[in-house]
Amino acid sequence: MSMKSVKLKYGYIVAAIIVLTIASCQKVIDLKLNNAPAQIVIEANITDQEGPQYVTITKSVPFTATDNFPTVTGAVITLNDGAGRQFHFNEVHPGLYILYPFQGGVYGRTYTLTVKIGDTTYTAQSTMPTVSVPLDSITDKPNVFGKSSLRTIAVNYQDPPDIANQYLFVLFVNSIEVGTIFTNDDSFTNGRYVKEDLFQTDIDIHPGDTASVNMACIDRNIYQYWYTLSQQQTNGPDGGVTPSNPPSNFNNNALGYFSAHTITGKSIIVY
Amino acid sequence: MLSTDKLFTYRPQYLNIAILLAFCLLISIPASAQKKFTVSGNVKDAATGEILIGATITLNKTSTSSNNYGFYSLTAPEGNYILTVTYVGYAPAVYTVALTENKVVDVALNPKAELQQVVINAHTRNNDNIVSPQMGVEKLDMSQINNVPVLLGEKDILKTLSLLPGVKAASEGNTGFYVRGGASDQNLILLDEATVYNASHLFGFFSTFNSDAIKDVSLYKGGMPSQYGGRLSSVLDIKMDEGNNQNYVVQGGLGLISSRIKVEGPIVKDKGSFMISARRTYLDLFLKASSDSTVKGSQLYFYDINAKANYHFDDKNVLYLSGYFGKDVLGLKNTFGTNWGNSTGTLRFNHIFNGKLFSNTSLIYSNYNYDIQSYLPGNNFNAVSQITDLDFKEDLQYFISNNHTIKFGIDALHHNLAPGSITADGNSSFNDKTIERRYGLETAAYISDEWHATDKLSLLYGFRLSDMFLFGPGTFSTYDAAGNTITSNTYNSGQIVKSYFNLEPRFSASYSLTSETSIKASYNRNTQNIHIISNSTSSTPTDLYVMSSNNIKPEIADQFSTGYFRNFNDNMFEFSTEVYYKWLQNQIDYKNGAQLILNQDVESQLVYGTGRAYGIEFFLKKKYGKFNGWLGYTLSRTERKFAAINNGDYYPATQDRTNDISAVGIYQFSKRWSFSSTFVYGTGNPVTYPNGKYEINELTTFYYSQRNANREPANNRLDLGATLEGKPHKKYHSSWTFGIYNVYDHRNPYAITFRDSKTNPGTTEAVETSLFGRIPSVTWNFKF
Repeated sequence: MSMKSVKLKYGYIVAAIIVLTIASCQKVIDLKLNNAPAQIVIEANITDQEGPQYVTITKSVPFTATDNFPTVTGAVITLNDGAGRQFHFNEVHPGLYILYPFQGGVYGRTYTLTVKIGDTTYTAQSTMPTVSVPLDSITDKPNVFGKSSLRTIAVNYQDPPDIANQYLFVLFVNSIEVGTIFTNDDSFTNGRYVKEDLFQTDIDIHPGDTASVNMACIDRNIYQYWYTLSQQQTNGPDGGVTPSNPPSNFNNNALGYFSAHTITGKSIIVY
Repeated sequence: MLSTDKLFTYRPQYLNIAILLAFCLLISIPASAQKKFTVSGNVKDAATGEILIGATITLNKTSTSSNNYGFYSLTAPEGNYILTVTYVGYAPAVYTVALTENKVVDVALNPKAELQQVVINAHTRNNDNIVSPQMGVEKLDMSQINNVPVLLGEKDILKTLSLLPGVKAASEGNTGFYVRGGASDQNLILLDEATVYNASHLFGFFSTFNSDAIKDVSLYKGGMPSQYGGRLSSVLDIKMDEGNNQNYVVQGGLGLISSRIKVEGPIVKDKGSFMISARRTYLDLFLKASSDSTVKGSQLYFYDINAKANYHFDDKNVLYLSGYFGKDVLGLKNTFGTNWGNSTGTLRFNHIFNGKLFSNTSLIYSNYNYDIQSYLPGNNFNAVSQITDLDFKEDLQYFISNNHTIKFGIDALHHNLAPGSITADGNSSFNDKTIERRYGLETAAYISDEWHATDKLSLLYGFRLSDMFLFGPGTFSTYDAAGNTITSNTYNSGQIVKSYFNLEPRFSASYSLTSETSIKASYNRNTQNIHIISNSTSSTPTDLYVMSSNNIKPEIADQFSTGYFRNFNDNMFEFSTEVYYKWLQNQIDYKNGAQLILNQDVESQLVYGTGRAYGIEFFLKKKYGKFNGWLGYTLSRTERKFAAINNGDYYPATQDRTNDISAVGIYQFSKRWSFSSTFVYGTGNPVTYPNGKYEINELTTFYYSQRNANREPANNRLDLGATLEGKPHKKYHSSWTFGIYNVYDHRNPYAITFRDSKTNPGTTEAVETSLFGRIPSVTWNFKF
């Protein structure tokens, strides 16, 4: 029996106290799960940075299988920049496709990605945000929840007042990616200098660790994708939300996403 | 925007029904040649002056029951009669009445000692459940509730209710409940007629109802009487104690996690009384013991206060004032704080015009609010939300003859919803933001007639006309399926944005085959204009309320039910079985990834669908004797259908439970010891399990193909309780209540989650969380 550890997201915290107060119990169980046929998963990113752009194509596996996701080879991938130019991706490794050289995505432009696998064509659109909001700094502070010897990382940035902005943060601790999805939009913070704590329990952060954060400005649909996915992660004591697949911007039932986004990053040694 | 066209097209229909109703009344009231007189009065407890609701009053062979204020009325031809008054747990009273004029007979019944009940005369056991046309109703006996074992010894009417067929607890240890496939926001919960919006403390582990202060609990699952409206699936009508008008009494209890005290006594002996009851938990003491400094500095408690006073000006005029105030406070030191609570107030005036016409006028206030503070440096904010209701009701009961009792009345309920506002200082990351308030008025008029057509056939029929008006000021938008704004209009204060008119027919009938057997049938339509949009599966303090609007149509439910009722052994045992089928229209859900918090355009995040629920309930109850209790079984199905979910096919709703068994037994072993036990078994909740997994951004992500296609494991649990009454003492009385929750320590699933395995990297695992193992409890109760 172990005490329940929950994703520390506000709204569930207080419930967590109750659950901790009254003895709760977790155990791994065997479940009979129905297996759906393997699904196509496309993960495609175009950034505002000059350099290689990546698309990976894999397939889903049954829940009980090991995490070896079959790659999909031989796909034909084309990027249309909405301004009359077409780019082609090359498969450099089974299931890994690269566009290189690339000057970097243009702000405000809507890109269309076409992925042809066998006889099926999957298409998605994403708009590169009009402004790259820079990550101003990252800071660390004492952990508020759980062990106080641990540290929490916060991101700081100035939200532009004139436009709607959506953000995705990816946190690395000693170069290992934290398995928590952090998103934010400006519906409560429009035009403010925002200090956002990246609450997580996946990796303990101690003084002396290196923490880095990549911050992406993303379009509304992609925000919805990551936000929905982040909600699924929150399985608090109240059961969380009804699970569903995050809304992919690809057609023909492909899973995954195509995101055109800006990117900035910072790194610190935790004090 | 006002849909006046609907008003006029529907009106003739209303008129027809009204005329039909009037006609039925006229033909069925025989012109009497003989002079008739009325005997009427109030029934109360002789020792405390508490009025008794639902006592059986029999005049020779015709009988009636006392209403919610203890009033009864019977009419008979001139002559000499025997008037008998019976009530469970009380010695019957018998009067001889010479009806030569209209008479007032006020009745005071003496409570019986527990053991005397064993020798109760079988003929005084009533068979109301057989002859009454009302079906789908459950009345809880408060003395039973006090004996049913519960989690942590906190006796709780909502948890006891979930042991009845057709009623299902939202989750283990939770006070949220589902009735016949309805959602938890489709229950109308009334405390002294005031709507209680959030009936739970501490995320549903405790209900807002302190059993000490409660006198009467009735739950209507079907055949909804027309005086009730506003919610689809049930009415839970809870009445507080009046207070002892003879003596001052102090009683209370010390429990594991809470203590309570109740004081009552006469204001003016025989004329008026008061009652104040309070309770507070001390869960925070457990937190103080924690080694974690943040947990140690946390706040975690709730309290509630029930208060009531009444004054009888004379035989015909009574004034009641009652109130409830409750609050939950939770906080993490220097981090977050939140509190929420209900407050209600009810002012009522009973007036008896004459022996036949009884009036109750109510003015009701109800408020629910929550407040969240963040103290994190740079991230501070304060968010508040509230809903305030003001309600005026006039209810009349006209005892035309022994064959006809008419109830009619009007209701005007004003809603003021403040969905939320957030304030923050200059250093905060957050902007100030306020979502526009919404104002609405629900009006209703109803009439119903309880008609004993023949010795065997009784009918309860009528209708309720309910209107909903959504008012400005404010900006009201309409949205397309994708959630984009199509139109946006600004309305002035008092301007009608949208209105809805609904006619709700209500009908039920019973046909007695014998004095111990009957069959019943009912149909009712209910509508609902205030809805909870919740983004979790259980009640949380931040549940968002919305009214019917230019986007949201009123929810509508039609229910047919029929049943067979049979008493055995001179009404010692009651058996019933009811079958129901319910259609639900305009059900509301929200889109995946919906933004519900402080969103001015929250209505753009909603989707609408339909639902259906059907099932059969079996109920066997032993009301009298040393051993009493009940056995319930429900077989049911509850489904919802939304275009965007499961390809538009029906899928099992969260509250679907195929099999549900509950058994409650209470045994009076001796004068001092009584034992009780409950057992529950239920099919597991429908849940959505992954049908595969894939990788996104190097994180394992689960693939779902069908909503609620899986089941959690079935749950079952046995609880035991014992009560030891203290030795009789002149001045005080005390008792001990012991309980063991989950005797055989069965871990019932609370949630099943999926994650990467830490012990076996590269694989995933399913994890079951369960909350409560075997938990003993003890409570000491006193009274002096």
